[in-house]
Amino acid sequence: MHPILTITGVSKNYGKLTALDGVSFEVPAGAVFGILGPNGSGKTTLLSIILDVLHADTGRFSWFGNSPQTNNRKQIGSLLETPNFYHYLSAVDNLKITQAISGRGNSADIDTVLEIVKLTERKKSKFSSYSLGMKQRLAIGAALLGNPDVLVFDEPTNGLDPVGIAEIRDLIQSLAAAGKTIIMASHLLDEVEKVCTHVAILKKGTLLTAGPVDEVLAQEDIVEIAASNNDALHTIVETMGGFSKVKKHANCLQLFYPVGTAQLDNINKYCFEKGITLQQLQLKKKSLETKFFELTND
Amino acid sequence: MFSLLQIEWLKIKKYPAFWAMLIIVLLTYPAANLMFYNVYLDITTQKGTDMLAKMLLGNPFAFPETWHTVAYISSFFVILPSILVIMLVTNEYQYKTQRQNVIDGWTRRQFMTSKLMDVLIVSSITTILYTLVAIGFSIYASTFDASKIWDQSYYIGLFFLQTFAQLSIAFLLGYLIKKAFIALGIFLFYYLIVENIATGYLKIKATKIGGDIGRYLPFEISDRMIVAPAFIGRFGKDIKTAYEKSLSEVPSQIALSLFLTTAIWAFCFFMHRKKDL
Repeated sequence: MHPILTITGVSKNYGKLTALDGVSFEVPAGAVFGILGPNGSGKTTLLSIILDVLHADTGRFSWFGNSPQTNNRKQIGSLLETPNFYHYLSAVDNLKITQAISGRGNSADIDTVLEIVKLTERKKSKFSSYSLGMKQRLAIGAALLGNPDVLVFDEPTNGLDPVGIAEIRDLIQSLAAAGKTIIMASHLLDEVEKVCTHVAILKKGTLLTAGPVDEVLAQEDIVEIAASNNDALHTIVETMGGFSKVKKHANCLQLFYPVGTAQLDNINKYCFEKGITLQQLQLKKKSLETKFFELTND
Repeated sequence: MFSLLQIEWLKIKKYPAFWAMLIIVLLTYPAANLMFYNVYLDITTQKGTDMLAKMLLGNPFAFPETWHTVAYISSFFVILPSILVIMLVTNEYQYKTQRQNVIDGWTRRQFMTSKLMDVLIVSSITTILYTLVAIGFSIYASTFDASKIWDQSYYIGLFFLQTFAQLSIAFLLGYLIKKAFIALGIFLFYYLIVENIATGYLKIKATKIGGDIGRYLPFEISDRMIVAPAFIGRFGKDIKTAYEKSLSEVPSQIALSLFLTTAIWAFCFFMHRKKDL
């Protein structure tokens, strides 16, 4: 089965600034693919290139195993950077234009997507009268028009209130459950961790890592331990060895082990033999946030 | 192609500025022509000179001269549809819909073709209004003579070409400048002031330079396709010579207008294919 999207060595410069530097990865069918990175890391530039809004200086990409073609974009529901609509037109009239250009959906679908994004009551109001959150909802609605199999979302929860954020997260999860391929750029690591199956992390235009979330995160095991006297515990574990590093973290110590090498019973036994009774002993999966900061901090 | 037209219509039909322009042009064209007609009436009804004036002027609002007279007078107001054209292109930047249209599936070429259609639509509407005003005035101002209706109707084509050529310049400014008010400001300043001064200056210096190169200025190129109506050339020997010279230059002005307009659109299509949106 062809990947939905293949990006090969894509670079983009703005004058002397390198926005993207030889980025390559693949998005498999059915993946919820999170693209992460700090501000200015090149996320939106990358999405703009694969949607033909920007030209790459070098490299190439292909959708559905084809070279870039107009018809490819028509099969993709996209929200890039900001909701872009005609301010003097209503939600319905704007979606009629989206529909006419993309060929996705019909007039009944317009009502359906407006219902999904909860804009039915305001569907005849001018876009210029919408709040930021409503504009964002309309952009998501436009992307959903015609129920496309591939969706590209750039910061989909921008401008939404907490309820709106939760709704969009649920929406993305239900779209993923329905087998859609979703490519999503976001700052909200917690959101990405909750919904994404795959992740790519960018920093200053360079791809730091890409792959299934489990593989990206599972490069290390973290064991959290705590005792009544964590300083004494720290001294004892320094003599134990086997881990790559130890770090103080809140009210516990974190021991970092190569994947699959942490043995909790041995740690417990070692500490007990050294006269320290552990109050906490837990193997933790590394959070996306931890991994993100680790990769992106200089 | 038809689908592009349908989509542009979806964008335009509920755009208030479009209808406002239409109403303003609807009022302006007849009003401006009426003003000229009243001047004509004043001259031709003054006792003592009325017969002479009538002989010299004829009736510029009767068929077939009405096509020429109304085209010449109406062409001064191309500024009105120009404002609309500039708004239509700068809106796409302001709303970032020039990106969204491509994201949704248009090619860059389709986007530019749709804008070309906008300019053609506005030019066509303006020409239709001109045609209606020319016919209306002739019926109002003279005895209707059906046999002469189409004698000079080629002015419909010239008026359309002139409008399209000048609106294309307005489009180019809006396309390059992107900001509505700056583009409008530059357009008005150039159209109303710079080119008029330059044209006047070059006319004075024509003998020294060895020809009136003012006719190559962007708006003058198409302005000189519709020369001042015939009766103006009937006063004085020098003016008559100049008028006949202007008439003889019309074919080359048409060719120049076609060339400039084609060049403008070729440039816009090329730019839009190459640039980041």
